[in-house]
Amino acid sequence: MRAADGSEMAETPLLLPLGEGAMLVRFGATLSEAANIAALRFTKRLEERPIAGVVEVVPNLVSVLLRYEPERIGFQRLAGEVGLLLTARIENADHAGREQKVPVAFGGDDGPDLGEVAERLSLSVEAFIAAHNASRLRVLATGFAPGFVYCGFHPEKLHLPRRKDVRPRVPAGSVLFAAGQTAIAATDIPTGWHVIGRTDLRNFDPAREPPTLLEAGDEIVFEAGA
Amino acid sequence: MSTRLVIRRAGPLTTIQDRGRFGMLRHGISASGPMDSGAFAAAAQILGEAGPAGIEFTSAGLELDMVAGECRIGLAGGLFVATLNGRQLGWPAAAELREGDLLAVGPGRAGNFGYLRFDKTIAVPAVLGSRATNLRAGIGGLEGRALKAGDGIDLVPTGETDPGMSRTASGDGPVRIIWGLHAEVFAPDLRARFLSEEFRVTARMDRMGVWLGDPGGVFKGAGGLSLVSDAVVPGDIQIVGEGTPVVLMRDHQPTGGYPRIATIIGPDLDRFAQMRPGTHVRFESVSLAHAQTLSALRSA
Repeated sequence: MRAADGSEMAETPLLLPLGEGAMLVRFGATLSEAANIAALRFTKRLEERPIAGVVEVVPNLVSVLLRYEPERIGFQRLAGEVGLLLTARIENADHAGREQKVPVAFGGDDGPDLGEVAERLSLSVEAFIAAHNASRLRVLATGFAPGFVYCGFHPEKLHLPRRKDVRPRVPAGSVLFAAGQTAIAATDIPTGWHVIGRTDLRNFDPAREPPTLLEAGDEIVFEAGA
Repeated sequence: MSTRLVIRRAGPLTTIQDRGRFGMLRHGISASGPMDSGAFAAAAQILGEAGPAGIEFTSAGLELDMVAGECRIGLAGGLFVATLNGRQLGWPAAAELREGDLLAVGPGRAGNFGYLRFDKTIAVPAVLGSRATNLRAGIGGLEGRALKAGDGIDLVPTGETDPGMSRTASGDGPVRIIWGLHAEVFAPDLRARFLSEEFRVTARMDRMGVWLGDPGGVFKGAGGLSLVSDAVVPGDIQIVGEGTPVVLMRDHQPTGGYPRIATIIGPDLDRFAQMRPGTHVRFESVSLAHAQTLSALRSA
């Protein structure tokens, strides 16, 4: 589908009910750059042109969740509005994300899986860190836990599946690596991702409003040395 | 004059809740709020008008001492046995608490969650717009945690009030669902059996999720699927591990990667939350339009 501003949408999204008070606008069933960008762009469009009756808009990896009030707008009418918004001509709806630098202490006790990750990618630790930090990444979505961000994508040669075992708890600030992505834990969490380092960045502070610093679309530059 | 109560005994997972912390999903925070939102509203209604926050207690009950001041309370949810200084109250109940009073709620005949609300506000700071405790995120309520014996709770005059609401109970029939985000990954005959077989509520339940027993083996071998992580709503039924259905509740993960076959509709999620371990449960599929009508009727 081609939007009226000439830019390409990934595909016509599926509009799925999620319970009786939410609609999921899903741009793909699997994670891809195109689906993620489409979800992000649609989120920006919704922020630019809010739909009456929609009370919350949440960008995810490949979808956008719209929580709505059924007594104000029904699913079919909302679907119509979503369709219009997908093709509307909107100036400056696709502004670039901010650039954020994230200093990371790689390896050691903070990154117990660093050596194994480098080895499995047939790289020295130094070469892996250099390659990792050279990737142009952006925040794909916040999810799973407060302030937890998925950043992607690394080039194919840096792709590695998740670990078989889940660590029951890694500390806030842990920098995680798997599936072509780097993720940052903002709270203590369980994880099956490889733990490669730690950052002082804390992307969740309930005393702050908004409570997170990073949002989907932000460009992330990882730097060695915390 | 200050009003203060001290928890003498609290069952596990006793928390301070309000209607919920909405609007924070994009920061990775689910809304929390009462497991039985209808009972939470009923506790305010019996009181006439309540402060925005109350205490959610669990099947083991709750005991507290009124150490200073006075207040009026409303109690509702499930079927518990409450006493004030040893004298039995009805259920649901409204009562007056004065300095020196002992309120005790013991296990009753039905339900997992009960609510205690006040004509005052619980003096804990609102975090991101809400006093609801989110145990997963460790925010809200009292220090982001469950209440325990010895905790002191101060009550202050309330500026915001909640008139409560009577809500039609959703009956004893099957728990109604609409098909979920990933219903299509389950074969048609499996979906048919999901609606014809009986499931059991197990003892593995908390504010995040309720694990179901599947004696008919409907989901045997249907687990192990990993999908792109996507938005979760309360009532989603996901299939984890080797094929165990888990109903996600108020403190759910904001997103999840397990396949979800169905979502329990709002009007029936309260009733489901009150089902005790061992309860047999059947599911019935309804249309989205019907679910929305039921939802509107209930809060009318």
